Amino acid sequence: MKHKMAVLFVAAGAFLAGTRADAHHSLSATYFADKEVKLEGKIAQLLLRNPHSFLQIDAPDEKGVMQRWSLEWRSSGQLGQAGIKRDTLIAGDDVTITMNPSRTVGDFRGALKTLFRKSDGFGWGTKPGETIE
Amino acid sequence: MRTHRRSLFPLAVLLAALPAFAQVDLSGTWADRITEDNYERSGGPPLGDYQGIPLNDAGRMKADSHDHSEWSLPEFQCRPHPGPYQWRALGAVRVSQEVDPVSREVVEYHFEYLRSLERPIYMDGRPHPPDYAPHSWSGFSTGKWNGNMLTITTTHLKGAYLRRNGASFSDNATMMEYITRHGEYLVIVMIITDPVWLEEPFIQTTHYELDPHTQLTLYPCTVSEENISTAVPHFLPGQNPNLGADDIPAIGARGGAVSIYPEFRKKLKDPNLDAKEVAKTEPISRIPPPAPKPAPDGAIHVLPVQGNIYMLVGAGGNITASIGKDGVLLVDAGPADMVAKVMSTVLQLATAITASPEPNHCLGLHCAQTPAGWTSPSLNSVISSPAPPKPVRFIINTSIDADHTGGNEKLAELPADSKIVGVTFPPVGIIPSAEIIAHENVLHRMSEPNIGGKTPVPDASWPTETFRTASYKLSQFFNGEGVQIFHLPDAHTDGDSIVFFRYSDVISAGDILRTDSYPVIEVDKGGTINGVLDGLNRILDLAIPEFRSQGGTMIIPGHGRLCDTGDVANYRNMVAIMRDRIQDMIHKGMTLEQVKAAKPTMDYDGLYGSTTGPWTTDMFIEAAYKSLKK
Repeated sequence: MKHKMAVLFVAAGAFLAGTRADAHHSLSATYFADKEVKLEGKIAQLLLRNPHSFLQIDAPDEKGVMQRWSLEWRSSGQLGQAGIKRDTLIAGDDVTITMNPSRTVGDFRGALKTLFRKSDGFGWGTKPGETIE
Repeated sequence: MRTHRRSLFPLAVLLAALPAFAQVDLSGTWADRITEDNYERSGGPPLGDYQGIPLNDAGRMKADSHDHSEWSLPEFQCRPHPGPYQWRALGAVRVSQEVDPVSREVVEYHFEYLRSLERPIYMDGRPHPPDYAPHSWSGFSTGKWNGNMLTITTTHLKGAYLRRNGASFSDNATMMEYITRHGEYLVIVMIITDPVWLEEPFIQTTHYELDPHTQLTLYPCTVSEENISTAVPHFLPGQNPNLGADDIPAIGARGGAVSIYPEFRKKLKDPNLDAKEVAKTEPISRIPPPAPKPAPDGAIHVLPVQGNIYMLVGAGGNITASIGKDGVLLVDAGPADMVAKVMSTVLQLATAITASPEPNHCLGLHCAQTPAGWTSPSLNSVISSPAPPKPVRFIINTSIDADHTGGNEKLAELPADSKIVGVTFPPVGIIPSAEIIAHENVLHRMSEPNIGGKTPVPDASWPTETFRTASYKLSQFFNGEGVQIFHLPDAHTDGDSIVFFRYSDVISAGDILRTDSYPVIEVDKGGTINGVLDGLNRILDLAIPEFRSQGGTMIIPGHGRLCDTGDVANYRNMVAIMRDRIQDMIHKGMTLEQVKAAKPTMDYDGLYGSTTGPWTTDMFIEAAYKSLKK
């Protein structure tokens, strides 16, 4: 039974992951899908919106200079369905994120891959379907 | 014989049962199944892969300069998919139809796309708009049935992308769509012809499946700060690091007409050929060069914009007219030799708007309060003649150019000379003459004596009211709205202004914006390319789109068609790209002749370039070069 349930969940996950992508611009054209950058910083604001939401954090760049980073995330509707609401992440939260960086040198932004909040262990990006498309 | 009659009877019944046209009901919600070119439709296409798109050299240069961070520009974040790309976008389309209740004919289809705009397809035989009408992301579409196939013709498109990696079509493109229904499937064949960036028509077939369970949900869009590094993201020629990054063979990735034919597969197998060789050996250009633009017909055409504002086209530069109960305000006066036609058109327009007889609603008891006569109000309403329209009260000059100020003197003289316009307008004695308003640099340049001691322009044409501050506003409402004038320093000249009609929500931009050429930069009169760019950005700061980067605040250019936010953004991007390329060449120490020879404008020459006439491409490059060298 356990095995059957697991198969069912995997199938459901695959189905959800394969449903309508919400791409507007091209993610692969905007960000390096094969590069990953890790940042540690504080949340500045969460902009829930279409076609993509943006999580903005203040974190140092590779030279140690503090920057405002815009991390592209799923649409507000998709995040809502995933249980992420306006007050799920609030300004000042300490977070560690990974992202696919922008292809354009000097852009302080990326496509959010994973998120981890230190205070309570809240996370996103590691479970099936938790990707931006 | 009797047998024949019997066999014809069922046929007659059958024919009577068929509709007059073999048109098919397209209504319903249709979902895309993404069986064509899936690799480029979900996550996005590889950068630099133009295979299958018949780009010409200019189109390839445009695509190569594309930086996808462009989508983060405030004007582009909510840009919808354009008509030619829409069928390949993800989502669904809902087709509904409007029916004439009497004739029962379908007079209009509506295509609503999940992530784009509602798109009307007019089936009532209306013509396409004139070339000075605005363009939209979906364009203007008319349709007709050919047997069981709906044929749609679309013009008036805003330039945008064919593939989300920079491969683009221009404002001059025309799109044909051929839609057939096969049971529960729609097949859409899209053919786009673009004389600017394509060397042959681009053909794409897409199919959709009827899916009543698909929902078209709310799809709002909000602009926000996305932290991009440059004002207008793009790559300088030869510096795009993303080309070829996805290991796509260059011979195919460069696109072009050769890459759309089956024979091209054989060439792909030849390891010794490169893309340039293929292009050399097979020059294909099956579409004729664009027809030259028709010469102006000499008439003044009127385009109602919104609110009180009308755009007068045909008098050299565009004229903006505010017409209403307070009289007429003109932004720019056209050239001197067009005054009679301009005045005649303004008179007809003002008469139609403010002085036309209205239907008499004064009947019996209902007209007791009418002002039209005390004793026989109904009869007096019928026979009363409306008061004439009020005169030209203000002329605002957006710059010193003769095609904008040449008519100042005659248009400001009131009453108009009846020998010129054929009528007396307005009646004698209302207001002595119109105020002519401009930035004081316009007055300085008009009045400064030259070496012979003469002024460049007769004093009767000079502004009567000038300002030297960053902005100026009329002291009170005119035709029910506030009118603001903003000085844009060192742009087309040093005396440029734009005029903002706050209630009508229209900006008259003068020669800061023109859709028919590169910006005219008069360096000897203080013009600079950076000033033009600042001016365009100022317009974009003021303008608010109605929805998805189109409509809303309308912008009347100095020359060319009526614009909105999306058009100004496209033009601004072009100017920024030209500025950056020429600036880069200056930094490299290139001379003006070397810059011209490098053809930094090649990708946009089909839209804005010219080798003849008063403002050639070379003149633009020279002006930009000189203003950047200062």
